[in-house]
Amino acid sequence: MSPLLDLAQAQSALLQALFGSRCDAALQAHVQLGGPRGAWHARGLQAYQANGSALAERVLQAAFPVLAELMGQDNFLPLARYFWRQSPPLRGDLGQWGAALPAFLDTAAQVADEPFLGDIARLEWALHTAATSADAALDAASLVLLTGSDPAHISLQLSGGVALLASAFPVVSIMAAHSPAAPDKTAAIAQAADQLRLKVAQHALVWRQGFKPRLRACSAAEHALLTALLAGQSLGHALHAASLRDDAAEAFDFSTWLGQAVQTGLMTGVYLLHHHPSQLNHRPHPDQ
Amino acid sequence: MTAPVSIVSAAARPSAQAGIGWRHPHYAELLESLPELDFIEVHSENFFAAGGAALATLKKARAHYPVSLHGVGLALGSACGIDAWHLDQLAQLVAHIEPLRVSDHACFARAGWSAASGDARLTVHAADLLPIPFNNAALDVMCANVQRVQDRLQRPLQVENLSAYLCFEGADRTEPVFLSELAQRTGCQLLVDVNNLYVNALNERLTGSTQDPIQTCIAWLNQIPKRAVGELHVAGHAVCADIVIDDHGSRVCDAVWQIYRHAQYRFGGVPALVEWDTDIPPLQVLLEEANSAKSLGFSASEAAR
Repeated sequence: MSPLLDLAQAQSALLQALFGSRCDAALQAHVQLGGPRGAWHARGLQAYQANGSALAERVLQAAFPVLAELMGQDNFLPLARYFWRQSPPLRGDLGQWGAALPAFLDTAAQVADEPFLGDIARLEWALHTAATSADAALDAASLVLLTGSDPAHISLQLSGGVALLASAFPVVSIMAAHSPAAPDKTAAIAQAADQLRLKVAQHALVWRQGFKPRLRACSAAEHALLTALLAGQSLGHALHAASLRDDAAEAFDFSTWLGQAVQTGLMTGVYLLHHHPSQLNHRPHPDQ
Repeated sequence: MTAPVSIVSAAARPSAQAGIGWRHPHYAELLESLPELDFIEVHSENFFAAGGAALATLKKARAHYPVSLHGVGLALGSACGIDAWHLDQLAQLVAHIEPLRVSDHACFARAGWSAASGDARLTVHAADLLPIPFNNAALDVMCANVQRVQDRLQRPLQVENLSAYLCFEGADRTEPVFLSELAQRTGCQLLVDVNNLYVNALNERLTGSTQDPIQTCIAWLNQIPKRAVGELHVAGHAVCADIVIDDHGSRVCDAVWQIYRHAQYRFGGVPALVEWDTDIPPLQVLLEEANSAKSLGFSASEAAR
């Protein structure tokens, strides 16, 4: 065997042992596990495993605080350690680890009685990633395109980190009830529980206002509008998509929406889909 | 054993450079009080982002202090190579921050892994600083990976020695010889973590490999070429009954200060960093430790002249 292949196998054997619940037999070919030296190596392996477990707990707790509160420490911490071994990090930046947790929760037997937890994790991951998305300031000059342009030729630039979720559960109410900012937490939790019993479905919107990741409920019409805009479709197309989902009791009013979207940082500018020579300055920023 | 040096006698004097690891609990306080420091150090990976509050905060700090970007995730000793995504992120951060120094560790973390035998094999990252055997194969891997980083960043990298809790079979040279060869072949500088040396030596005492941990560390330092070292690290560690853990969770002990003073004497007054990553104390405690590092560094390097 080439020395390089031997090194690769030794490194792989250690990772198998670290991300396993027991010492992998393959490691014995590369690390002395018998005798006095072996006893110390076993203790060292335990130290590395303990460090991994502590990291898993800390990283997931920071990224998924509401999930942790809903599950309770006694359930969440073992889940974090289990997920660490089932789905190890792929990157050397632990801020990237946890994207697979929502899908994991959807099928995890441990939380089968609380099927909404996967969607809670989806929202928390969206908030987590929005926090480090590209900064974007309002391009006020581009708003002039809204007057006089054909909606089929323009689209709207949205803030970094925009994410949408159509959930079968009252996820925004649950998140709000477990927010540190909830004014009356007990009442909010009771209300969310009622909505859960009544099988209330909610559309959720995540975006960034300045540096602050935000979450709110949105209507089916706004969800359709933003889905089209995120896909790079024209404002005309997006408005049509919204009108198809319009609720007669709560009609979608674009003018009102626009004012709020600018005010809350959800929308950061307008851009031309087709480049007219006189309006080239209003193309979106290349970073966006 | 040599008697530990008293750090109390090291009064504040004009001295070598010293900095502190700048961690989240001190973000706001440091920017408000702007204490006198030669540089601050951050973990590069905590700022791998397109934008957001953390990166903006680091940019603010950069306006007041030189910044040392210290990585914990390049995994330079990984036989499967380094992650192109990681290097892209680091290059972007270096371009934004224009750091004083860029460093990472002589460790591996990336390797093939499968959930169960027969499952697809993924390249995963252990998020830890795992040891490498000190032999030709590992040296070739380290050199290739360090060179790739230096070529991309267009600047020399600093590579730090580890505290390790196990050793692979197959080493054919000592750690300082291995690191010296790495520096010679790649032109990288060495970042010598004095606390890591002492933690390793204490663990060697537990396994009967040494009787005198301080002398073991001094002998280690004496094998490193004088001009190869670009920075020193000091930190605290935790002594358990059966293992010593490099937890960066307490003040620097007297023995580490004593070894540090020898390092400064040998390497001629290099910048020093105080690291504290668990149970982070008030900022003032870190500043006191940095002051000690600065004063001792000055007196040792003066004595060497």
